[in-house]
Amino acid sequence: MKEKDIDKILQEIKIPEPDEVVKRATIKASVSEFNRQKESLQKNIKGIDTERRLIGRINLFLNLLGGFAMRKSYVIAGSATAFVAILVVSLTYLSVDLNRTPQPINVPVEQNGTISSGGAAGMHQEAYDYSYSVSQGGGSISYNKSAAPPAPSVKRGIGSSIHSMIAEVPMNHGGSSYSSGGYTEEDLRSYENQETGRDQFDTIDTNPVKQVKEDPVSTFSIDVDTASYAFVRRQINYGVLPQENAVRIEEMINYFDYDYVVPEDRARPFQPTVAVFPTPWNPDSKLLHIGIKGYDIVPEEKPESNLVFLIDVSGSMDDQDKLPLLRNSFRLLVNSLDEEDTVAIVVYAGAAGTVLEPTSVKEKGKILAALDQMQAGGSTAGGEGIQKAYDLAEANFKKDGVNRIILATDGDFNVGIYDDEELKSYIDRKRKSGIFLSVLGFGQGNYNDALMQKLAQNGNGNASYIDNLNEARKVLVEEASSTLFTIARDVKLQVEFNPKLIAEYRLIGYESRMLKREDFNNDKVDAGDIGSGHTVTAIYEIIPVGSKGRLVDDLRYDSKEKEEVGSELSDSEYAFLKIRYKLPDSENSELITTSVNKENEYAQLDQVPTDVRFAASVAAFGQVLRGGTYTDQFTYDDIIELAESTVDNDEFGYRHEFLGLVRLAKAIE
Amino acid sequence: MENQDDTELIKLAREGDSVAFEELVERNYMFVYKISYKWTGIKEDAEDITQNVFMKLAGSIQTFKESSSFQTWLYRITINSAKDFSKKNARIRKKEMALSDQQNMKEGSTSEENSIAELIQYMITKLPHKLKETALLVFSEGMSHKEAAVVLDCAEKTVSWRVFQVKKKLKKHLESDGVKL
Repeated sequence: MKEKDIDKILQEIKIPEPDEVVKRATIKASVSEFNRQKESLQKNIKGIDTERRLIGRINLFLNLLGGFAMRKSYVIAGSATAFVAILVVSLTYLSVDLNRTPQPINVPVEQNGTISSGGAAGMHQEAYDYSYSVSQGGGSISYNKSAAPPAPSVKRGIGSSIHSMIAEVPMNHGGSSYSSGGYTEEDLRSYENQETGRDQFDTIDTNPVKQVKEDPVSTFSIDVDTASYAFVRRQINYGVLPQENAVRIEEMINYFDYDYVVPEDRARPFQPTVAVFPTPWNPDSKLLHIGIKGYDIVPEEKPESNLVFLIDVSGSMDDQDKLPLLRNSFRLLVNSLDEEDTVAIVVYAGAAGTVLEPTSVKEKGKILAALDQMQAGGSTAGGEGIQKAYDLAEANFKKDGVNRIILATDGDFNVGIYDDEELKSYIDRKRKSGIFLSVLGFGQGNYNDALMQKLAQNGNGNASYIDNLNEARKVLVEEASSTLFTIARDVKLQVEFNPKLIAEYRLIGYESRMLKREDFNNDKVDAGDIGSGHTVTAIYEIIPVGSKGRLVDDLRYDSKEKEEVGSELSDSEYAFLKIRYKLPDSENSELITTSVNKENEYAQLDQVPTDVRFAASVAAFGQVLRGGTYTDQFTYDDIIELAESTVDNDEFGYRHEFLGLVRLAKAIE
Repeated sequence: MENQDDTELIKLAREGDSVAFEELVERNYMFVYKISYKWTGIKEDAEDITQNVFMKLAGSIQTFKESSSFQTWLYRITINSAKDFSKKNARIRKKEMALSDQQNMKEGSTSEENSIAELIQYMITKLPHKLKETALLVFSEGMSHKEAAVVLDCAEKTVSWRVFQVKKKLKKHLESDGVKL
């Protein structure tokens, strides 16, 4: 198809003349809105005393400083309520566009010349001018851009059209897109990274290679979160590669549904699927794949749900990808609930308030109306969000049902308890009373992933990241049963490797979920929960004895090989897998074991089941995004090739989307 | 569209002059309406979106900086409003769309050339938002990838990739409908 044809056809669309009456009405409505805004702006500005204005400025200044600043302002969140008011004012009454405007942080500006080319400079200057004087006669919150680095001095008139504006830009990097004016592509890359610089992630140290002789046992907790994949997807779709710490490989792998054996009995809620096959990125090693699918709850057993939505309506939630998306997401969830279930809504901004008392889904209209009425920036009557949510959940506690709080936020927890640790221990205490917590993350630029993860883990819940309505559907509707109905708690995996066959191993992902060997049998040690229908996949890269791919040398003074393993076993068994879990109503754990032996091995990659191969390609992608320490020369193209043959059975298109993401990542790089 | 007078009007409006603001709305009404129409293909929806855009503009004109292009800014607000609008109305529209689809198909068969044009237009309105906004700016508004990237606030490569996707999708759909271009 020729581009020209489409151009031609589309440019010749006949557009009907708009209705003159409607046009007049629009003009009238917008002028009166203009006047209303003007008045309320003046009123609000007058109401803010000098001191607060000062604090507000400092806070805005801190925000401008990026990541450090945000952490800083988080630490001082105790006093944050004092100036939430001013932030709400600034975010509510200023433009929608303001929230979308990129952060003007540390954009390197080349001083030597080309910058004067105008067009692009104009564009970036817009980005610099984050500050907006809201001045309207009486009083003003004006924030000067002096905090930002020196902006290009060129002012371009508004008069020129966008076409001429672009025409002024020299194409000094050939076809390569992004470089215009005096910015190099790299500058802009770092500029883009900066934009999301306030997203907070805990540092992940990639799991090291371990020697089977020294450390034959690997123990970790399951992780059914998927937030990392959604966040990575969002970043890549946005045209930037995610920061390494945002990539949690196990969450990327577990984002997808795999066709593992489904257990039939709730008393034995899962059955592991194991496979050993050649590593796609390393000819000298093998992958050991462990897949678990949770018992899938059958509808007639579906317990009643008592849900409390705890929703962040602070000013920062005013972006399109936050509150409006959140509202639609919850709408999807409400529509998927049964009549016996109840929903309550608590919102928090500077203060917290109950928007909806526990209401039966029979009165769906009432719940949906309450969702619709939520406005970002609206302040609500006192109290403290999270306590309120727990109070409501307790008051309406369903003994044999699902009691869960679903917290939706972009990461700022000015919910009443300011200290992270205090918040965590509060949630931990509440978890023991049978109320679980799920965390839904929205938006970017200010996303506090680290805290969300901790909260969800302490509340025995899941952390998910919602970047679009499709993701909301996946998390809240499609997987609603798994997110809501826990089938086993404190699920731990332990793998013992056979030193006779395997020399070295490393676990791909699960860095934040590692447990001590002795924790496995200690029922007091908390671990992840698994919901109905959840799948969990863990992949080890293993290096067979005698392989030239070994990374660790033998010890010179090591005693000669011990032959203590039963000889028959030691010849055929790669590893022994143990899974510990507690049934939802039990405090004592149960054990499931299985051996991984040569019967589970595939000699050729193309014999491996497609789902297992697909998981390997996601693992490869995650590792490459994290810097590819162990993936050697494996490229995005190799990942595409590996994944391409595995995406046929793809009902909802998630795997194709994954392929698209890898292609895009390749293009970005 | 955007000229020296707009600059003056924006300046006055930012100072709180409602007459200037009114004039600004009047002048830019068609611009916004046209983009909205191209997005939805439905006159009434386009008018609703246009109203939303100017309501937003009323609240945010103070924050507009003269140093950036008003037109780019307006493009952004319009596309965002159009996206919000489609999301909000997706459910209500579903039924209506199903009906009008049938209608379109019937009417579309009058002449060969006409039907291809309509088919393409229709397909564009059915694209996912990211592709749709890109298609609208690049094909319909005739922007270069670079220009579209400025409006969409993404990398030019992203625009190029999306354009490629749009073409691929259109081609696939057209071919499945037996049309060869």
